[in-house]
Amino acid sequence: MRNLWIMTWYTLREAMARKVFIFFLIISLLVLVITGLLFGLASNVTLGAGGGMSLENPITHIEMMIVAPLAGLCLLLAIFSSSSFVPVMLEKGNIDLLLSKPVSRDQLLWGKFLGGILVVFLNIAFLILGIWLIISFKFNYWDFHFLYIILTVTFTFTVLYSLIVLMGVITKGSTLGMMLAYFIFIILSPLFYVAKYQMGAFLENKMVKQVVEVFYYIIPKTSELMGKVTEYLVTGKGIDDYQPVLTSLAFLILTMGIAISIFRKKDF
Amino acid sequence: MSLVAIETTELTKVYSSSFGKRKVEALSGLNLRISGGSIFGFLGPNGAGKTTLVKLLLGIIFPTSGSAKILGGEINDYKVKSKIGYLPENHKYPAYLTGGEVLDFFGKLSGLNGLELNKKIDEMLELVQMTKWKKTKVKNYSKGMMQRLGLAQAMINDPDLIFLDEPTDGVDPLGRKDIRDILIELKNRNKTIFLNSHLLSEVEMITDRVGILNKGKLLREGTVKELTEKKEEYKISVEGTIENLPDDIKHGAKFENIGGGYYSFKVEDTQGLNRILDQLRNNGIIIKEMVQQKNSLEDMFISLIKEAESNANAFTKESVK
Repeated sequence: MRNLWIMTWYTLREAMARKVFIFFLIISLLVLVITGLLFGLASNVTLGAGGGMSLENPITHIEMMIVAPLAGLCLLLAIFSSSSFVPVMLEKGNIDLLLSKPVSRDQLLWGKFLGGILVVFLNIAFLILGIWLIISFKFNYWDFHFLYIILTVTFTFTVLYSLIVLMGVITKGSTLGMMLAYFIFIILSPLFYVAKYQMGAFLENKMVKQVVEVFYYIIPKTSELMGKVTEYLVTGKGIDDYQPVLTSLAFLILTMGIAISIFRKKDF
Repeated sequence: MSLVAIETTELTKVYSSSFGKRKVEALSGLNLRISGGSIFGFLGPNGAGKTTLVKLLLGIIFPTSGSAKILGGEINDYKVKSKIGYLPENHKYPAYLTGGEVLDFFGKLSGLNGLELNKKIDEMLELVQMTKWKKTKVKNYSKGMMQRLGLAQAMINDPDLIFLDEPTDGVDPLGRKDIRDILIELKNRNKTIFLNSHLLSEVEMITDRVGILNKGKLLREGTVKELTEKKEEYKISVEGTIENLPDDIKHGAKFENIGGGYYSFKVEDTQGLNRILDQLRNNGIIIKEMVQQKNSLEDMFISLIKEAESNANAFTKESVK
């Protein structure tokens, strides 16, 4: 456990030494300053439960309008900057030293995995909490459901990061993992969601339908996690369908399981 | 500490290409026993399998067959590494860390923490004369400074067994002397040092035993003295010339002019040596100097590798026939 924490902590330090994370922190800070200024200059109305009208949806929508594009950008940046954590660890001269210490291979890889997640969690939490505090103070309306975004974005990243880790272990490089993660996030996941739920009726060929079904369930549902699941949680409706979460979790467990199993036996 | 620090039994490593078409035997049935509290020098040309052996012993790669133990524990048990230090040939440290932080990181991974670790970091930096660079980022270090830091890193957990791969690479002559002194000091403290080096003169100076590896096979193993001595072979310097003396005076010994006024010759035993010296003196030859011939480790290493190569070539030709 101690070794796991050491690896996680030093992954966090590695991230902080990288310009991409600093860049993201600066953007977050900029967004918070601009949001603060905009709402500070706005007319000083107090909205909320005591205001006599339910403004739950408008406030949540304001928050979502600011956060939704930023969360997507955050994920893109997070994939880019975390894709080299494992390959850097596996570089000659570095992995030799790590493996010569009384640390198990599992601890090394889990440390890198958890470190990457912690970095993204902290970045997202900083941004979301900041926006939430500004808007909540302004309107005196404290909607804690909004904070679920931190969890859904972090979970979406975790699923994609497991694939980056697996590809890092196999290829000792960052390019393939990063490309696959982008491909799933930007193209495959939205595509198969649309194909299954919005084009299903138009797909007449049984075989094509089956292929869509299979791929839909295999590929992590990042578009649904960032879209429908987040929206339902933020608006306080709760998750109506756990399938996207569970199948994505299954993908995460499977890819990490394969990554660990390969890493245990690999020569360096 | 265990009496046997390293023990390998028929240890073999075969590397296969991606599709298994091409196989390279990097280490072939190695049997080795290294006693605790000694400095063992491991020599061999590039690609001989030296680093492969170290990586196998440290669990960085896995054996194809055979087994090995370090400090009495199985090599696949990572916990045995708590008493091991390692300085790889091309070590890489995170560029964003300072020298002190590098030692802190690897010290923590080795199980140290708190005041004990802080004390150890200062002690090690002082030992390798890097104290004033403690707070400088390693990306600004020179090659020699990196080697010194690497040595400190390898010793941070007070290991019983230390693997050093080219520890003096990139270090100036004074620094090399310092490193040699540290290694001797470690040996005096009953630590075992496994040294991979190309600098044969250095190995000769500090090692107790030497192993010579070529193409994955152990060619010879023994003390430096055992490997370098030339039995009953002497070098002599005289006034005048020996070549023209009759054979009965030379007692059958063949004097070979090796230049600079020196001759080399072989005798059967010490009595034979004295007989020849008496005859030479009786015939008016003045002996200025005489020393027993000895190979340098480098001479022995080169001739051994050449011999192995020519044997391998002969075997290949024979197989083709």
